[in-house]
Parts: sequence; structure tokens; C-alpha cells
Amino acid sequence: MNGFEQALATGIEGGTVILYPSLGELIGQRAGVVNLGMEGCMLSGALGAYVVAAETGSAWLGVLGGAAAGAVIGYLHAWLVVKRQAHQLASGLVLWFLAIGLTSVLGTTFVSRTVTPLPVWNVPLLSKIPWIGTIFFQHDVLVYISYFLVGALWFVLYRTRIGLVLRACGERPEVVAAAGRRPDRIQMAAVILGAALGGVGGAELSVVYVDNWFDDMTNGYGFIAVAVVLFAAWRPSRVVLGAYVFGVALAAASVLQAHNVSINQYLLDAVPYLVTLIALVLFARIGSAQTPEGLARALNNTS
Amino acid sequence: MATDAPHIPAVTDIPPVTDIPPAPAGGPGRWSLRALADQARDASGLKRLGIALSFYLISLAIFGAIVATQHADPFSVYWAIIKSAFIQSGSIDQLLVRAVPLVLAALAVSIPARSGLVNVGGEGQLIVGAIAGTWVALYALPGAPRPIELIAMGVAAFLAGAAWGAVPGVLRVALGANESVSTLLLNFIANDILLYLLYQPWKNPLGTGQPESKPLQTAATLPGMFNGLNLGVIVVLAIAVIVYLVLRYSGWGFALRVVGGNPQAARRAGLPVKRLMVSSMAVGGGLAGVGGMLYLAGTQLQLLPGGTATFGYTAFLAAFLGRQGTIRVVLSALLFSAIAISAPGLQLGYGLDGNAVDILLALSVAAPLALSSTRRKAV
Repeated sequence: MNGFEQALATGIEGGTVILYPSLGELIGQRAGVVNLGMEGCMLSGALGAYVVAAETGSAWLGVLGGAAAGAVIGYLHAWLVVKRQAHQLASGLVLWFLAIGLTSVLGTTFVSRTVTPLPVWNVPLLSKIPWIGTIFFQHDVLVYISYFLVGALWFVLYRTRIGLVLRACGERPEVVAAAGRRPDRIQMAAVILGAALGGVGGAELSVVYVDNWFDDMTNGYGFIAVAVVLFAAWRPSRVVLGAYVFGVALAAASVLQAHNVSINQYLLDAVPYLVTLIALVLFARIGSAQTPEGLARALNNTS
Repeated sequence: MATDAPHIPAVTDIPPVTDIPPAPAGGPGRWSLRALADQARDASGLKRLGIALSFYLISLAIFGAIVATQHADPFSVYWAIIKSAFIQSGSIDQLLVRAVPLVLAALAVSIPARSGLVNVGGEGQLIVGAIAGTWVALYALPGAPRPIELIAMGVAAFLAGAAWGAVPGVLRVALGANESVSTLLLNFIANDILLYLLYQPWKNPLGTGQPESKPLQTAATLPGMFNGLNLGVIVVLAIAVIVYLVLRYSGWGFALRVVGGNPQAARRAGLPVKRLMVSSMAVGGGLAGVGGMLYLAGTQLQLLPGGTATFGYTAFLAAFLGRQGTIRVVLSALLFSAIAISAPGLQLGYGLDGNAVDILLALSVAAPLALSSTRRKAV
């Protein structure tokens, strides 16, 4: 495995950390709710997963714990935004802050603990393919699940009735209500499910990618997930692409460092955020025409 | 619900979506959070205050419960917060000094909010302000007389913060890039630039090896006043008064409110909507930049990593607690400063993590958010 393949393979792994919350954010935003608190969902997911994995010794239970922890933050956001009609962007940031505080306080005793991370499982046959095998099929199972999740999400959104109703909630909830459904319940469910996926992304971060827990370890990845959804114009296929681009940018930084390229580490650290910002700017025009109508009100702070 | 109406066609039974299905009018025994909050929607005056207070009490109870899981006595923790904020000697001074960057970064949220923009970039704008101030003090204009030095630092910090705020403003009005996300991303970029400077070009050669700049010369620090206060407190007070007057009485302030209220109408009325939006971001960012510089020159006295310690985000919450009104925002920032200065004491005295107070800050904003029952703009 040469350095280039290594970078791309690490990019897929790092990209998966972003992919889960991005898909989660996509579900919520398609239903008309933006969740800036995705960062908080990831953070609590990262701790939840680490705690459960450390206590039970099972990384898989850890992933479930991460999903549950993310969902708790998501429930609070959904309650504030859908039931109480709170300002969506403010509510998200409030919950991020809550998550920082909670995870710092509750996580202190886990800083020095170790967990058994999810094992790498080489997919039979597929992992033997040169290039593609090393890049896509020599990872932990969460990565493979994310491949399926993308397809499943696309299918549900565009080919099923519930997907249609969900998208309608993001466009015009009053139409959904007129059709005899409860848009508030659908939005609640979408936000909570999305937040649980954010928690899984946090789990991938703490139990697989970094294999450690420390304060504020998500480092803005949840915000990047929100940006990915925006510049992907709310399409699952482009979300995947965006997440992997970020993952590769993240991996490139560490690979370059390992090869003693003499660029300051902190300037390299800024690259993924810069790449995301540039993508956000480049695709903003294209995306804005496709913004779900109801979501646009929340995003542009107009009601 | 209109129970006395004789017959209602089925269609009107569908709950209006922009609204919550009204709770069963809070009968006795309906003491759920939702019932309480729903009552607050129509209640006025005392009752609304009472409901708000009960939400705050619930927030405090939640914080207490979390504290209790860490084997600390909640009541003595509350007492410690109050003591460190108001009672210990010098605590008021510390509160005010800490509030310097907080107030300015909170105004950096509330001014763009007038024109309908959400600036979450206070953190980055504080950082670039501090960087610009350091650059003037150590590299561009070292050894100048104190007033000139300080004014030059302030101007540089304002310009740097204004640029850092104007960029997402321009990206929003010209390209439609969402400003809340772009300002967030710029925070992380600003922080990485700060770390780069402190680990390499600006690293103190005589330092302990920690990432820090050379200490500022005395001429580049704010003169102290009585007690532990410095000139920054006066400067911030003056800026807050000016901001209040400008937003309330100037044509610019009025135009911002029109843009924030209805951009379409503002455009038809011939207002330069885009320029107004960008200018509100620039002014807001500039003020945050000055906040970063004042904190540098008044408190830290050298550029440090994480020096602003998430002040930018705390300020964002304060701006929302104050619902973007200048006086309320300043008061909220003071309150948050009071809570924030208790963090080191809680860490030393109770073994609570330094971020524990973030829980309290978040809950104290979540309570009014839960009560704002109509979809409210950031104005």
C-alpha cells in the first residue's frame, strides 16, 4: 500500500466520520429543520460510545450508546424547534454548548480509559481488487454500513411515500397537514433520527478513527457536516462526495506530516475548513435554487 | 379550542402548522413543561415572568443534578458561583474585565441580527483582532508612545475583525453562501492561524517553550484604573452607548432594521440592502476585533492560544438571551461573565471540569428559547 492509497483509504475512514452526521443533517433539513447542534450530537455520541464501549468492552454496544446520546441532544433540539418554534440556528448552538459542558463534566473519568476499537474487516474478494479494494474495502464495518445507508436514504427519500411526505415537510408543512398528517411529528422524528446518525459519526470518531476520548474532540466536524449538506444541495449522492473530499483533506494533512513535509501543522489543520468554506461558496449559487422552501426560511433567518 | 362553536367543518380541525396544536388549556394537573410554556404564550406580565422563572429553576435543578453526579454538593456549587461573581473581594472588577470581550462580541451578534444576519463568527473575529493588535504592538509599531500605540492597535484590530466579518457577509449577499455556517468555519480557520503564529513565527524565544508570543511592552498595555479595572471597561461602556444611540437614532440603524424586517420592501424602497447587510457584519466583526485587542492589552498582556476561551460563542448565547436589544445584550453579557468567572473556582474547589459552566449558560438560553412560542426572528 503506497502513500497515496493510504491517504485515500484514511480519507474514506475520516470521510465516514463526516458522512454519518451529514446524512443525518440531510434528513432533518429535508424535513425543514436545520440542526447546527449536529456538532453537539457528534460530541455526545463520541462520549456516549466511548463510555459504553469502555464499560461493556463491546465496541458495537458503544456505537448504539453513541446513537442514543446523539438522539438525546437531537430530541432537545427537535422539542425546542418544532414544538416550541424556537430560532433554529440559536437552538442548535445552545445545544452544542450544552453538549460541550455535559461531555466535559461527565467525560473526565474516561479520558485515560482505553477501549477495544471496532476491528477492521476485509471484505472477501472485494478487498483483493487492486486500488479499489485497499481504498474502499479494508475498513471497519461501520464504513460498509454507511455505503448501504446512502443507497437506502436515497431510496426512501425519492421512492417511498414516507420520503415524499418528509420532503414535503421541508417545502410546505401546511400541505402535509392538509393531507391529514402531522408535520410536527414527522419533523421531530427526522431530527431525532438525524441526530442519532450524528451520534454514530461521533462513535466512529472516538471508538475507531481516533480511538480515544478528549474534551471537544469533534473539533467542528459537525459544523462541517452542515456545510456539506448545504453545498451538496440536499442530495445524498453529493453528500457522499462532499464528506469524502473532507475526509481526504483531513487525511492529507496527517499523511503530509508523516512524510515530514515542512508545512506548519496548524496551517495544515486549517485546510479542511478552508476546503469546506470554498466548496460552500462555489456551490452556494447552484444550491440556493434547490433549497427546500420551508428550510430556506430557517436558513436565511426570515420567517 | 372553540368548543362553543356549533358545528365546525372537518378541515378546520387540522392544526395550523405554523402553530403548535394548543394544549388543553392548562387545566389543573397539567403541569408538564409544554403546558407551562403554552400558558406563557398568552399570559402577560407577572404570570409570564413566573413561568420564565420556573423554567430557570428547572434549568438550575438540571445543572444541580449533573453536578451531583460528580460528587459535588449542588447548593455549595451555586453558592460558590454567586460568591466568585459578586461577593469575593475584587470579583466585580474581574467580572467587568472579563465582560470586555464578551460585550463587544455580543454586539457583534446583535448588530448583524438587525439586518437579519446570523453572525456566529464572534470567536474568529476576537482572535483576528487580538492577532492584529499583537502585530502592531510587537512588529509594526513597537516602541511608540502609549496613546498612539494603543489607538493604532485598536484601529488595526477593528479593521481585522471587520474584514473577518465582512467576508462572510459578502459571500452571503453576492453568492448566497449561508453566513451562519461560513462564520463558524472561519472561527476554526482563525484559531489555526493563531496557533500557527504562536508555534512558529511569533513564538517567544525567551519563553518556557509554551506557545505564546513575546509579552507586550508597557506602552502597548491598557493603563490600569482604580482596583483591578483597566481602561478597557470604560472603552466598552462608551462603545455600547454609541452603538445604542446609532442603532436607535441614526439613518443607518433605521435602515438595518428595515432590511431585517423585510428585505423585499427595503429593496423596493431603494435601500442598498446588500451594502447594508455587509456593513452590519463589518461593524459587528470590527467591534469583536476591538474586544479581542482590549482583552489582549488589558488582561492577557501577551498573545496566548485559546486566550479568548470560547468567549465568541458565549457572547452569541448572550446576544440571544438579550434578544438582540443593545441594553439587554450588554446585561446578558455581564450575567454570563459572572457565570464564566466562576469556572476556575469550580475546577479547583469541586473538581468540576472548566466547561461545566457551559451547561448553565446553555440552559439559561434554552429556557427563553422554549418560551418564544412564535417563530421569532433574530431581531
